[in-house]
Amino acid sequence: MNNRLKELRERHGWTQGGLADRLGVSRQTVNALETGRYDPSLPLAFRIAALFAQPIEAIFHPTEAPLDSSGLPGKPDLPL
Amino acid sequence: MDDQVMTSDLDRTSRSEGDRARARAYYWDFWPSMVAYGLTLTAVLIWGHLDGQSPSRYLWALVPVLPMLWTVRAVMRHLTRIDDYQRLLLLKGLAVGFAVAMIASITMGFLGIAGLRTPAAGWIIFGTGMLGWLIAGNRARTI
Repeated sequence: MNNRLKELRERHGWTQGGLADRLGVSRQTVNALETGRYDPSLPLAFRIAALFAQPIEAIFHPTEAPLDSSGLPGKPDLPL
Repeated sequence: MDDQVMTSDLDRTSRSEGDRARARAYYWDFWPSMVAYGLTLTAVLIWGHLDGQSPSRYLWALVPVLPMLWTVRAVMRHLTRIDDYQRLLLLKGLAVGFAVAMIASITMGFLGIAGLRTPAAGWIIFGTGMLGWLIAGNRARTI
């Protein structure tokens, strides 16, 4: 999942540690979120959305393709 | 004030206040148990006579286990303090450590059946398990 967390954080002038304290998580977790290594739990995604006063879907964007006809994930979109 | 942070400072990777508070709490949970372990181990080595014949040596042998339970408590409390992502990393490391210890245990078991007797078998299993936890934990953090 892609997200705009870094962009939003920088727009507010916060460090990763500052954002971590506001969300009640570690700086390591903020870094993992920003670099796409970790997708947040639903409660954390809601906290992030509330903090930036934006809907979740305006911050997080799915990268996986929808399920195919057999119910399995389709091939991910490849960059052109 | 919070919103006035210098832009050039935004990518610094120093720990947050919450990180420091959690690390302090873990420190005060964990290190007293290590000190207690060191003290009980010293007492056992001086007065325990584990290689003697007295039945009390079995009780002495169990004394260092008590502070180890305290250490387990410290790790469990740490698990409840950290966030989901850190818990995932810690539990991944523990899972690998457990798997490595089980493999070491089976290996030592079969070697024992084949006739290889070593009084250090328990320590070898413990050591490999801890090493597995350490390596897997560090690897998970850096990926």
